[in-house]
Amino acid sequence: MLKKRLIPALFIKNGLIVRSENFDYHQFIGSVVHEAKRYSDWDVDELVYIDISREKEYDLRRDDYNLDAYYSMEEIIRKIAEVCFMPLAFGGGIRNLSDVDLRIRNGADKIILNTGAYETPELIGQTASKYGSQCVIVSVDYRMVDGKDQVFTSFGTHATGLTVNEWISRCEQEGAGEIFLNAIDRDGKGNGYDIETIESAVESTKLPVIACGGAADEFDFQELAEEVENLSGIAAGNLFHFTERSYPRAKKYLKENGINVR
Amino acid sequence: MIATIPQINYCKKCLLPSSSAIPVAFDDHGVCSACRTSKEKEAIDWDRRLKKFQRILEQYRSKDGSNYDCIIPVSGGKDSFFQVHQVKNEMGFNPLLVTYNSNNYTPTGLKNLQRMRDVFGCDHVFFTTSVHTLQKLNRISVQIMGDTQWHYQSGIFTYPFQVAVQMNIPLLIWGEHGHMDIGGMHSYNDFVEFTYRYRHEHILRGFEWTDFMAKAAEYGETLERREMIPFVYPSDEEIDRVGVRGIYMANFVKWEANEHGPLMMEKYGWLENEEPFERTYRRMSNLDDFYENGIHDYLKFIKFGYGRATDHACKDIRAGKMTREEGIKIIQQMDHVKSKDVYQWLDFVGWTEEQFDHLADTYRDPRVWWIRDGQWHKMDITGEPTAYGKVHLTPEEQQKYVRA
Repeated sequence: MLKKRLIPALFIKNGLIVRSENFDYHQFIGSVVHEAKRYSDWDVDELVYIDISREKEYDLRRDDYNLDAYYSMEEIIRKIAEVCFMPLAFGGGIRNLSDVDLRIRNGADKIILNTGAYETPELIGQTASKYGSQCVIVSVDYRMVDGKDQVFTSFGTHATGLTVNEWISRCEQEGAGEIFLNAIDRDGKGNGYDIETIESAVESTKLPVIACGGAADEFDFQELAEEVENLSGIAAGNLFHFTERSYPRAKKYLKENGINVR
Repeated sequence: MIATIPQINYCKKCLLPSSSAIPVAFDDHGVCSACRTSKEKEAIDWDRRLKKFQRILEQYRSKDGSNYDCIIPVSGGKDSFFQVHQVKNEMGFNPLLVTYNSNNYTPTGLKNLQRMRDVFGCDHVFFTTSVHTLQKLNRISVQIMGDTQWHYQSGIFTYPFQVAVQMNIPLLIWGEHGHMDIGGMHSYNDFVEFTYRYRHEHILRGFEWTDFMAKAAEYGETLERREMIPFVYPSDEEIDRVGVRGIYMANFVKWEANEHGPLMMEKYGWLENEEPFERTYRRMSNLDDFYENGIHDYLKFIKFGYGRATDHACKDIRAGKMTREEGIKIIQQMDHVKSKDVYQWLDFVGWTEEQFDHLADTYRDPRVWWIRDGQWHKMDITGEPTAYGKVHLTPEEQQKYVRA
């Protein structure tokens, strides 16, 4: 059985990590650097960062922290890369190859395309040719519309009319290396993963799939891992912020229960 | 550089400003995350949560009575009383009470602490750091982070964990999660627990005892490693060995501070402060350290343009005990007051007032404050730019506060 990665997915809004709910409500959790340092202590498999800032301004908001201020995405990536040694994937606001270059140059190991891939599908191939397909993750946000899954872009506001599997298949043709599948309806709800859609997506493609959206606890990780055998990555956005040693404790639990994790 | 100086806005429901010291988010209707989180309380099935609380505690009960069932970190305030009342008297557990002493109790606060021992009959550890060390930590703290209170915040959120590790008591029961209560950092569905990261980043703002040691000489102080023992948080290995876990009772038992006060007075003779405070109208909060309502909070006003009267009024507005208009009147009268304990503090550390005022001014947030005609100005909640006294900075230091 495939070794499954357990991946914290962190959302950055205007320079701070946020807790996300339903893609439209975001509470500020803390600075990117303090978070990254802690995940580094916990030796996580991989980190996924997605910048969801509507206006691309970044500010710590106060100057009396024991932390140098930062005001741009480049600085943010550099600061995270300084304290982290695991693979780092960055997404959000990437629309062309120079956006990709900027992130790679500052320390990203992979980049994540979402709206940019939908608007300019060739960007997937261009990035893959330059940096290798293992470097290109396409993030696929979807919600259920009339009982059927549909892909949305632009922070979940633009309906594409495509199903998850249709869009994944297109991304695969374009040269994507990996899929990050996120259920908008389940974001921040803690009601468990959408196993049906995840399983169907995993079976529809050769690409490794990371699934996100809905985890409330380690039992949800376990259920997802057991139900979707070929799933490559289990991600959670909010959960790891909430309890002490959340990541190593979840890993330990999964191992003890026979899940093949690193 | 800050790209654009943001307009300070205020929550449409309460009085919380976007310059809040605690990271606060506003929704599309201009309502703050604290109001939003607070409203969640109405729809929660609290009976179900109480059962969950009981189940968690049961997991940690000392079966043969050879150890305590849990630790409750206490200050002797109304919330401490409520926690011990719930855990010991209502649910029948045997907690060890642990207090890190601020060294600045109000006389009423001390009476309450003594009363807590008398009425609950719990074992109680009361820890006090050397006053000589405290003087040094106060001076360094105000200079490196614009706050006098590092030792207290650090002590409260370190010492009980040291006891947990030393005595092998895994479960700590806190009252409410401060940033969730005041800023709405979390949802009640998160069941957030205490984390080292929250302590390090939000409570201590990234400053550890090691930073104090490293910077002491720069400020003409000498600090020895042995003076920092109370502030050394246990390692991840120690935390894991004991399985330490800090839960917040407010996730399980409906938390309404306005009700705890009267309930604890009636049941246990708890007292609200016998003297009024200068910077807030509430008499039932922060009796464990008069600086919390005083110099510490005055520095918050200096930095971010609002104070504890705002925090308290926000809570009372959310609880339906005050209107927004009543709140505005109060905060316009109280948020800026330079309280008398500032002079007591100056005496404690041996500083002059000018020395303090100058230092404080260097911490003003340029997102909030600007200088005009030698006076500090900020935009008030009323929408009026208002002057708040003379500037104590050099012309060079004033540069970043001049707006076009």
